[in-house]
Amino acid sequence: MSALSQTAVELRRAAVEARSRWSSSAWLSLGALVVAAVVPFLSLPGVRVDALANTAYLALAATALGLIVGPGGLPSLGTGAFMAIGAFTSGLLVARSGWPLEPAALAGAAAALVAGLLTGGVVRLRPAFVAVSTWLLAWLVWLFLLAFPSVSGGAQGLILPPKSLLGMNATPTVHFEVALGLTALIALAVYALRRGAPGLELSALRQAPALAVSLGVRLERRRLAALAFSAAVAGLAGGLSVQLQAVADPNAYDPFLSFKLLVAVLLGGAAATLGPAVGVALLGLIGLVSGPLARLLQLPLERFDAAVAALLLVFVLAFGGEGLLPWALRYVRRPKPWTRRAVAAPARTAPGPNDPVLAAHGLRKAFGGVVAVDGFELELRRGETAALIGPNGSGKTTALRLIAGAIPPDAGGIELDGADVTAAGAADRVALGIARTLQTMSAFPELTALQNVLVGRAPRRHAGGLVRTGLATPRARRELQASATAAFEALALVGLDQVAGAPTLELTTSQRRLVALAAAIATEPQVLLVDELAAGAGPDELETLAEAVERIRERGVAVLVVEHNLRLVRRVADRVLVLRAGAIVAEGSAAEVAASSVVQEAYLGKARL
Amino acid sequence: MTIALQVVISGLAAGGVYGLFAVGHSLVYRLTGIVNFAFGDLVGLGVFTTLLVLAGTSPVSQSGAHEPRFLLALVVGLVVCVAAGALTYVGLVQPYLSRGSTIGWVAGTAAVAFAIRAAIGAVFQRSSYVFPDPLPFHDVGTAGFVHVGGAQVQARAFFVAGLAIALALGSAWFLDRTRHGQALRAVADDQEGARFVGVPVDLAITLAFAGVGAVAMVAALAAAPGEAVNANTGTLLGLQGLVAALAVRFGPPLRAFAAGLVLGVVEAAIANVHLGGWQLGPSYSQVLPIAFVLLLISLRPSQGALEERE
Repeated sequence: MSALSQTAVELRRAAVEARSRWSSSAWLSLGALVVAAVVPFLSLPGVRVDALANTAYLALAATALGLIVGPGGLPSLGTGAFMAIGAFTSGLLVARSGWPLEPAALAGAAAALVAGLLTGGVVRLRPAFVAVSTWLLAWLVWLFLLAFPSVSGGAQGLILPPKSLLGMNATPTVHFEVALGLTALIALAVYALRRGAPGLELSALRQAPALAVSLGVRLERRRLAALAFSAAVAGLAGGLSVQLQAVADPNAYDPFLSFKLLVAVLLGGAAATLGPAVGVALLGLIGLVSGPLARLLQLPLERFDAAVAALLLVFVLAFGGEGLLPWALRYVRRPKPWTRRAVAAPARTAPGPNDPVLAAHGLRKAFGGVVAVDGFELELRRGETAALIGPNGSGKTTALRLIAGAIPPDAGGIELDGADVTAAGAADRVALGIARTLQTMSAFPELTALQNVLVGRAPRRHAGGLVRTGLATPRARRELQASATAAFEALALVGLDQVAGAPTLELTTSQRRLVALAAAIATEPQVLLVDELAAGAGPDELETLAEAVERIRERGVAVLVVEHNLRLVRRVADRVLVLRAGAIVAEGSAAEVAASSVVQEAYLGKARL
Repeated sequence: MTIALQVVISGLAAGGVYGLFAVGHSLVYRLTGIVNFAFGDLVGLGVFTTLLVLAGTSPVSQSGAHEPRFLLALVVGLVVCVAAGALTYVGLVQPYLSRGSTIGWVAGTAAVAFAIRAAIGAVFQRSSYVFPDPLPFHDVGTAGFVHVGGAQVQARAFFVAGLAIALALGSAWFLDRTRHGQALRAVADDQEGARFVGVPVDLAITLAFAGVGAVAMVAALAAAPGEAVNANTGTLLGLQGLVAALAVRFGPPLRAFAAGLVLGVVEAAIANVHLGGWQLGPSYSQVLPIAFVLLLISLRPSQGALEERE
């Protein structure tokens, strides 16, 4: 079969799928798009087409901003700055170098993208620092434009000659239709991103960053890509809209523009793809009403633009910050009951030969003056379950974090399958095959059980990037499907396939533990590190957990459990390692270890009763 | 050499004010983990309230500067600044902090910033105002300038720099030595622990949030008569303070203050220093430091205080 016919098959399947998913909100969106498209031809009183076109460009920028604010939880206060960068790059190329508008606008988008990448390193820090750095950028760009009249054209601004847009005379109406079309396209892409891997992983990073990273999600890459995407779209919007005004005026891009866009996103609702666009339209409507009102009352109401935006925002936040569209949609769309899916029993991989898979040599870690782990040696074989026990403070969790790569060791090394992985970070090690469940924060509260497990597919995704997902390429769609199947299998392995669609918050504590285990399994590990799985578990729960661990081992995974619950240890462990003061002091079967005097000493001290 | 002296002294005066804003940003971050985007504007609100009580909305005025009215204006300005700060914290920061919503307090404090800017702009509609001088600096030296080692320096610069340093040392002393200061440091170290040993955490944070505004406002007022002021003045001071605080990653108060001083001197140097006929000039003085710190935190995000924790 040729690639072409394969694509055709894929497209047909996509069409069928789309038709089956064609919901009331899709019809509503299409209707709104058609209505919006004819507005400039209606010559409504008081509505200027250039203002409409400008609003449509703002909606374009806001739609992309919605991705990082909604799923990403990264509040950007600099979208206006990216628009300004796009606008003045494009404006200078058109006015000084005589470029046509389209390539100039694309160059503007590229410049904004670079600015986004350069300032986006802060995504490694707390989300608040995205706000800090974009806030600085917003002021920097504006101050720069004011301080350098040679770039910004000074007091009268940068004057732009009339140009054509897509082969047409660039009238405000053409600008409006182009902006509307681009907004629709970007909204489709954002919709695909929200439903696909990037949206899921951004959302996981927002809810519990450490858990997401422990499942192999690349925090920096995901967040930076999303930030750069929104910057580039803002740059494109700026690069095109600048020609509309015929003059690039620095004061049109003061930091308030950035704030207004964030307000629009929150007002319309960042949780819905079209929320930001609705928010921009609402702010535009308010502007439409306040103009005549100001004239009527003879008040300088334009000056209160900022105050109105601020008040609206406070109002929205006071009502939970959900925004208008998601709030309205709750009344349109009833929650679908989650459907059970039949699934074949998970294929069991034959337990591999019992060769060593993981080796740790001479690991040492000190926190300040406290030596947590020192001279730690460990060898794990495929298909075995080892348990690491020891009194509080003996360094169990630290040893696990060292093996998982959450913290770097001061000395010593770790080998996986004979290859040195000491230098690899946490997310890289998950991709290599070392997964870990965390002691606390076992699940992402806003996701369903299946989505939780899907996050664990992060290291096995190869076509789940921003570009492929945004364009909904056949490969990305296939992978999304395959990921869902694999996640479902992982859930089935721990016996939770019946509650796949249930929201995490409705699950019991023990079900959440199993979800965490399934998510770790979904990463397809060779080595699974399990931290305090049974903390606070009752006897029934213990049995379920033990069964799950055994089924995982049967797949040939080497399992290392850190456990206080000695019943679970006796139940699952082939081998028990006793840790004391950061080093292993005894090793053997559960019975042997229990009888060992070293162990009794480790737990109870020398002076035994 | 003469220009260097001039740069250092005027730089220290401007930097002292930045430094106090940096101390405020840093202290608030350490106490609450938030960055107050309205900090500069809250101080601006206090400064313009003082101006309003002192001289109304006329563009230039020396009337009332020497009278007791100045004291009244100062007190009213401080009260407004502190009250607005406390309200911001209680109404727009604390609720979102307790809910764990970053977007809430970011958008909330930014909203306060823009609302204050709009309000100042609506009352004071001219592009700039001259703040009446309560102290007779123009009688010192020649029209307010004194000669130091051949350099001409504004007499006010010594006063502003000295006052800022005194305020910074005073703040450090307060945090280090007094009971209330130690309570605040306990809150910054471990909020739950502080609550447990009986520190009224919410009250302490609210007072600190508002109090750093008052300290910064005194410095801003001292510097205000030196140049024209407008609605952007407070915002920009808050921004420079944030830049300085970021440069030392929200470090301890005296380090943040020192960063502010350095920022002031660097700005003055960029604006004034010629190096072999080559000069950057005043256009660069504001944007270069911001760009530098922006790239610094992006390309070298530190470990520790700013990082997400497991």
